Amino acid sequence: MNEKIAPHLEELTRALGDLEKTGIRAEFDKLLAFRVPPDVAKESILRKFGGKRKVLKVKDLSANLKSFEITGRILDIGEKSIRPKEGAQEGAQEGAQEGTQERPSKLYTGVLADETGSVMFSSWKELPGSTGDAINIRNAYTRIWQNRIRLSIGEQSLVSKIPDSSFPPLSELSGSQTKKLIDIGAVDFSVETVACVLQLSHREVLVRGRPSRVISGVLADETGRLPFTAWIELPEIDIGSIIRIEEAQVRMFRGMPSVNILNSTKVSSVGPEEAKKLSFTFESVKKDPFPLKIEKIDSRDSMFDVAAAGNVVSVRPGSGIISRCPECSRVVQKASCRVHGKVEGIRDMRIKAVLDDGTGAMSVMFPRELAEIIYGKTLEEAEQLMISDVSKDAVYEDLKRFLTGRYLAVRGNSSKSEYGISFVAEQAWVPEDDLAVRVVELLHRLGPDEEDGQDRNSQVSGGGIRLA
Amino acid sequence: MKRMDRTEIHRFPVEESGLLKREVAKRVFAREFEACRELEKSARPDSDAVDPKSPNLLISPLGLILNRIFVVGVITELDSIGTQNEMWKARIVDPTGAFTVYAGQYQPEASIFFSTVQIPAFIALTGKARIYEPEPGSVFVSIRAEEANVVDEEIRSRWVVDTAEQTVERLEAFSDALASGYRGEKFREYLLEKGISSELAEGISIALERESAPQEFAALLKASIRGGLRALDFESEGDAGAKADQKEFVLELLREMGGNRGVDYAAFVDTAISRGISEEVVEEVVCSLLSGGQCYEPKIGIIRLVG
Repeated sequence: MNEKIAPHLEELTRALGDLEKTGIRAEFDKLLAFRVPPDVAKESILRKFGGKRKVLKVKDLSANLKSFEITGRILDIGEKSIRPKEGAQEGAQEGAQEGTQERPSKLYTGVLADETGSVMFSSWKELPGSTGDAINIRNAYTRIWQNRIRLSIGEQSLVSKIPDSSFPPLSELSGSQTKKLIDIGAVDFSVETVACVLQLSHREVLVRGRPSRVISGVLADETGRLPFTAWIELPEIDIGSIIRIEEAQVRMFRGMPSVNILNSTKVSSVGPEEAKKLSFTFESVKKDPFPLKIEKIDSRDSMFDVAAAGNVVSVRPGSGIISRCPECSRVVQKASCRVHGKVEGIRDMRIKAVLDDGTGAMSVMFPRELAEIIYGKTLEEAEQLMISDVSKDAVYEDLKRFLTGRYLAVRGNSSKSEYGISFVAEQAWVPEDDLAVRVVELLHRLGPDEEDGQDRNSQVSGGGIRLA
Repeated sequence: MKRMDRTEIHRFPVEESGLLKREVAKRVFAREFEACRELEKSARPDSDAVDPKSPNLLISPLGLILNRIFVVGVITELDSIGTQNEMWKARIVDPTGAFTVYAGQYQPEASIFFSTVQIPAFIALTGKARIYEPEPGSVFVSIRAEEANVVDEEIRSRWVVDTAEQTVERLEAFSDALASGYRGEKFREYLLEKGISSELAEGISIALERESAPQEFAALLKASIRGGLRALDFESEGDAGAKADQKEFVLELLREMGGNRGVDYAAFVDTAISRGISEEVVEEVVCSLLSGGQCYEPKIGIIRLVG
């Protein structure tokens, strides 16, 4: 028996380190005791504990990652008891059958930081360290909790305290981080940044029943743009001002981070001397965003005011003429709103299409104004088509014939969920960049023609396409 | 405590719902596509890919890992090959070669498209790569069509340029990888440091282990792409139309001036200029008529139309 399992144990040791110490060996033996074949047991252990090492920094964290390794210093830690709800316990028959009597379990929550940022964590087990200690977590995962990313440490995570090594000291890690706009995300709660005010407007809102003035706008630096809201007056700050914002709060709204300037936030103008040292100016940031590869958009949880271009590879069902509830604007199906019941729907048109540039694919939503432009038909014309064709799918079919394969550029906001990227277009156009220029550049990159034989080859295929 | 633990574990399949995420459609030329081979599930970098629902992946000699692809080309052949069930087989030509495409009863959208399309035409198509190996050594790589549509030449040219760009990027990464001399884990790290996506880095290292003569293939592919790029015609439709009109006009003028009996070339050029046609255009048209056998020079300086 031992001879049979020895190679598997060896492989596991190579992948996961010391099996005895971490309890993996015990887990493996348990599976074998249940007559799981050794190779299958090895597979499941590898899957559970993450065979391959994926080491991340705080800035790399995004929603729904799993089994990665992270090292950081505990900035803060607290514990609370969680008592399962009565109702939940009844539903957990299965658990009870296994003989696990529910007892209040403890949840440890706090903040973990490395040199790239800090993140809130929650742990189901006691950590081998307290505030100020550096720890290494293997097989950690993330999830979204209250609109933010939270680092989760579960039963199967392996946590070890690491000696006070070269890791930056507590004093350096605490306090808000100076960040470029593109690096601000759901892991942040307090940030410092230097950016240019690109848009600014005042509006009245009700705060706890009292009308108050808020400023909302857009910040920009060389890495990107983000919306901001100021709940305090910002004297002497206008469009074009370059400002330093300290201890601003980051809030998530519809998956998009927004910089909140509160009473506790310090806002100061950046003087002309210092502004010269920045890698952006008002002139450079107010230019229209340059189209990004969709791969790049896919690497971020959300992006504000960016552009992309690609082929429409699919027009999705639900495109075309729809009707909306007059109360809540939800899409109405079978003349019933799922909140307001039977309603007289309002006609609207939209297009949901998959835009793909070969590096990534994203689902783009074109609201009515854009749908009318790219389709070349107004809502009324589309309705005519639907009536004359006596088919409710006539517009969808026509859209597919018209758009599939086309090349489009879009500008708007992206956000990512487990279903991929959703992009809400605010502008759409057919790009007219000069292909001839790109061809010259590509021929240059391809280098000169090689030996004769290959050159002839290229002539043949070149001729082939001309005939076609 | 245990129950909490269970819910945590059960969360993983939800995270795995990345499967629902739309898969990107890779851009690849026919020549590289044809040379793709199956990427066995065991050889895959990602241990999650052991999932039976994961797609069938192919890998190219340059390390491109693909399943869904998007192609734009000329449909040159179309056959209905089904006996009991409808099945379409099409050939789509790009500057480097041809793709074989199938659409059957389970691809209703594509089948309907093929039943109406006129040949030849520029078409855009998405589909999944399929590989069939009836016996060792004979491999057929094809596309199972998903969606297709007729497009214009501009979209075709753009596809060629986009595809060339992405292929050149891969070629550069590949030759860089080859030149680095690293192997194994260190090699992957090197590629990632170079800003190459982890998928391509894995692909390249797998391809390098498999291919016996990767450089030869790269050279052939480069030559094909160069040829394809040079063959692109960037004159806008307006320009081409104007040229055809001018040619027609010159020919008409030649007939009008008695071209069947022979016309003095110098006098003809003067008349054409007076009607707003430049000398270069006249020369160009006459040259093409001469080389096309539509007119000849019985004496030097005299041109005469045939027939």
